[in-house]
Amino acid sequence: MFKLIVEKELRDIIGSTKFALTFGVCAVLILLTFYVGGRHYQVSQRQYEAAKAENLRQMEGVTDWIMVRNHRIFLPPQPLAALVTGVANDIGRNVEVRGRGEVGAEDSRYGDDPIFAVFRFLDLDFVFQIVLSLFAILFAYDAISGEKERGTLRLSFANAIPRDKYILGKITGTFLALAIPLLIPILLGNLMLPILGVPMAGDDWMRLAFVVCAGMLYFGVFLTLSVFVSALTQRSSSSFLLLLVIWISAVLIVPRASVLIAGRAVQVPSLDEHASQRARLSAQLWNEDRKQMGNFKPEDTGNAEQMLSQFNKFMQKLADSRDQKMRELSDRLNEERRNREAAQQRVAFGMSRLSPAAAFSLASTNLVGTSLQLKRHYLNTATDYQQAYAKFMSEKTGGMLTGGRVMMFRSRDGEEAKKDPIDPRQIPPFVYHPIPLREVFGAALLDLGILLLFNLVFFAGAYVAFLKYDVR
Amino acid sequence: MEILTSDGRPLLEAENLTKRYEDGVLALDHVSFAVYPKQIYAMLGANGAGKTTAVNLFLNFIDPTEGEARIDGIVTHKEPLQAKQKVAFVSENVMLYPNFTAMQNLDFFARLGGKTNYTKDDYRRVLLRVGLQEEAHNKRLKGFSKGMRQKCGIAIAILKDAPAILLDEPTSGLDPKAGFEFIHLLEELRDEGKAILMSTHDIFRAKEIADVVGIMRQGQLVVQRTREEIAGENLEDLYMHYMAGHVEAAA
Repeated sequence: MFKLIVEKELRDIIGSTKFALTFGVCAVLILLTFYVGGRHYQVSQRQYEAAKAENLRQMEGVTDWIMVRNHRIFLPPQPLAALVTGVANDIGRNVEVRGRGEVGAEDSRYGDDPIFAVFRFLDLDFVFQIVLSLFAILFAYDAISGEKERGTLRLSFANAIPRDKYILGKITGTFLALAIPLLIPILLGNLMLPILGVPMAGDDWMRLAFVVCAGMLYFGVFLTLSVFVSALTQRSSSSFLLLLVIWISAVLIVPRASVLIAGRAVQVPSLDEHASQRARLSAQLWNEDRKQMGNFKPEDTGNAEQMLSQFNKFMQKLADSRDQKMRELSDRLNEERRNREAAQQRVAFGMSRLSPAAAFSLASTNLVGTSLQLKRHYLNTATDYQQAYAKFMSEKTGGMLTGGRVMMFRSRDGEEAKKDPIDPRQIPPFVYHPIPLREVFGAALLDLGILLLFNLVFFAGAYVAFLKYDVR
Repeated sequence: MEILTSDGRPLLEAENLTKRYEDGVLALDHVSFAVYPKQIYAMLGANGAGKTTAVNLFLNFIDPTEGEARIDGIVTHKEPLQAKQKVAFVSENVMLYPNFTAMQNLDFFARLGGKTNYTKDDYRRVLLRVGLQEEAHNKRLKGFSKGMRQKCGIAIAILKDAPAILLDEPTSGLDPKAGFEFIHLLEELRDEGKAILMSTHDIFRAKEIADVVGIMRQGQLVVQRTREEIAGENLEDLYMHYMAGHVEAAA
């Protein structure tokens, strides 16, 4: 009996014109998402390589490591970030590494090309969150009430059918009829990735598989919800209207409202306020140091090189001291800001998880590594790199880091005094490793669990409602 | 109420069948009747008289407040699944699955009714029997007229091969030709030994086909007449008479 109902649902849905049209639109959108994502990755990769080359080119001709300025590292494009963009386009891609001080990312994609920020990119998050959830509603809003209106429910239950088997078959059949055809363009899209030159590692495939699973769970939420609402209403028009209201609230209102409420509930000091505090301290420290600089008198050894070295060491000491004080202030401000941000995020995400759309979005961006964690992870990696860079530069400059105030002069002119240019390729390369799979899965687990819970609750709701449903 | 005709054990039987809805409306008030094999029982009455409620009680779509409905001796609200194996149903305005062909609809409902060994030839034969042209057999139902759908509905009932058939306003909206064909088919089914309970507004068809006519008013079965009894009467006058409020004490 169960198998018969499942077969009937499969045949009824797949044979409908509505399905052919909707499936066509969804398939095109999904394939387009993969194509656009692949192309976007290619462009980003080219930009990344060009930026790296330009960074090295700027150092060409420099003859002393101490003269190295504006060394930049760049966030390499991640293959899956093009499919689930998350905040990847909002955060800065390059970081100036000075060897000391705080690192900050600049030049976000949306900052460079604000037009993309207006409508955002087409990605899997959008397709699942908006298009497929509507797709689920469109096909399941009349799952029960529509059968009643057609009289097929009466006719079916004039036979010896247990209601539980019928509703189980109905939900399973509807899910299979809609999910399997949707998986086809997703699989085709996967095949497009290597063709488009997106280097997918085993880890990336695993992440993508989890994202698709999360998408299917999300799709299941709206499907079971639609069957549930359909089993609560006697008319399909009422069911559709109710579902539309729920969809608008869940997908469009709740996530945004959560952020707004969290923003009101937990105030986070702005970066401008911090910058202002840092600037005040910096100015104060400079004023203090300037007095010391005025009083500095190197020991007159008669050797210019030694005197210069004394001056440079003195300046380095001042710079280190300033840096230490600035770092202490920054650490304090950053910690305070991080704590407030974390509290704000907890409130916002906690509330937004009432919406399956938010839970899906958080799960998918976490899995791909384009969640809010991305910025922190990138800056942490950049900070680690800065230490390696500082060590390298220290070795090359004999303890001097760039960025301090140093003085140099040539005591002799002539060809023989010219130094060979440095080889910038000796600078340790910046290697970015995405957040490990185990870590991102751990972060996404809560949201995957929430999606599963939504499925179970709505499934149980549909089941119970149908057992009591008036089939007349 | 006295059983007026008898040919063995009744297949459909209502005994003091009563239904009061939660809002207090008494839809069926201690109604008793029986339908025997090779018998068509036409239940006449205005809208809201309780005809469909009686059919719904036989199909256990609702539970009785009092009394019981039995199909082949099985109490429907106690053993609904067993009872439903003994009955086929044709409803008013059969829509079926519009994306399925006539054959596919038949196949689904036949299997739902537990008949898994039918072949396409069986379906074709039944569809031809109910008068559906062969070229329509493999067409989707979305393009079918009401009459064509109704033919599919009766084909589904025939395929179930149940001893009893319930029909809820089966001829409403059918054109005269389709109505005539339908009635002729019911006669064939009766002659095959089926017990048929038909709720209808159609006095003329009821008179033409029914072995027993029961007139319902405000949830009560106010009168029953056999074919022989109504042969000499004007059923329309009788119907209007009882609709006006006269209640015959059943003896």
